[in-house]
Amino acid sequence: MKKILLLILITFSLSSCEKDDICIDDTTPALVIEFFDIINPLTPKNVTNLAVTIDGESQVYETFSEKNKITLPLRMSETSTKYILKLNSTDAINTNTDIITVNYQTRNVYVSRACGYKTVFDLDSANGFVVTDNTPIDNNWIQQSITLTPSIENDNETHIKILF
Amino acid sequence: MKHTLRFYFSIIFLLISFVFQAQEAEVKDSIPVKKERYGIRVGIDLFKLTRSFYEKDYRGLELVGDYRLTRRHYIAAEIGNENKTVDDDRLNFTTKGTYLKIGFDYNTYENWLDMENQIYVGLRYGVSSFSQTLNTYKIYNTNNHFEEVIDVNPNEQFKGLTAQWLEVVAGMKAEIFNNFYAGFSFRLNYMLSQKQPTNFENLYIPGFHRTYDGKFGVGFNYTISYFIPLYKATVKAKEKTKKQ
Repeated sequence: MKKILLLILITFSLSSCEKDDICIDDTTPALVIEFFDIINPLTPKNVTNLAVTIDGESQVYETFSEKNKITLPLRMSETSTKYILKLNSTDAINTNTDIITVNYQTRNVYVSRACGYKTVFDLDSANGFVVTDNTPIDNNWIQQSITLTPSIENDNETHIKILF
Repeated sequence: MKHTLRFYFSIIFLLISFVFQAQEAEVKDSIPVKKERYGIRVGIDLFKLTRSFYEKDYRGLELVGDYRLTRRHYIAAEIGNENKTVDDDRLNFTTKGTYLKIGFDYNTYENWLDMENQIYVGLRYGVSSFSQTLNTYKIYNTNNHFEEVIDVNPNEQFKGLTAQWLEVVAGMKAEIFNNFYAGFSFRLNYMLSQKQPTNFENLYIPGFHRTYDGKFGVGFNYTISYFIPLYKATVKAKEKTKKQ
């Protein structure tokens, strides 16, 4: 009899230690852009006072300094997100603004019981990542962009490489 | 991970075999001639039945039965149907399906005189055929800069799903009045294989119940059953001498 009680006890102790009520998995990713030197494309290059504004918003999203990797959120309910990238934003003479547009299709992918679903972004093959100049024209500071990962499924990897 | 699970399972099997041995060693029987009844017992799970009344998102029915094969061994089976809607923080889905569990019970309890009670352990092999309907879900986003709350209502049904599992059972049955038995049992389930829906998961399986990250599940039933006696057999002398 005592041994049966023990068996029942084991049954319950096994069932109580499951970790499925807290979401710990990777969920909806953000866009990860890494900056490299145009002369030495393998050397990471830091941006200085890069003020990023998301199109349609009046305030600056974030100003990045001394960083070669930035993370930007993508709109889940639309198929395009546009960012205004102002380099050297505090320097009146050397400042330069470029606009990047990310075009994509969204897909909802099952994660787990606690997390539910996440949205992943598949960049359009033709114009997934487009760099345009600002008006008034001040030439592009972004010289080249390379799409490394056209399918944005997690933010542990770099999706876009920018050379300047 | 797979090895750890295997290890746990072996431990449980080992425990059961200890239970068997220990009981056999302890028992002493002094009544010279003893006749015991053999037959079929059929019943219903009251736990599932009452839950269907008080829980509005749940409907379930389970019929149970066993047949006394030897003095201590019973062939046992459960057949049931469940319809459950789970409303989690991020997901809402409905599972519908039928299951069958078949296996044996081993009675470890030595009855006095003509009592016919049971304290038993057993094993079941369970199969379930079911469908999942994903009613609604939310998109999880840790960066809520855009303050987008996305609720999707796909109302998508995944049909033709199946699962197979093993159950370790421990429970008891007592005769409450003439041929009527009340009993309950606890079950530890171990998933063998299952067919998952695409871009979703079997979070609930009829008969297996809630699934967890691992392969384990738990179950419980509370039954009322009726015993139909078929024949009587004398307890063999061989069995008695073995015990002394």
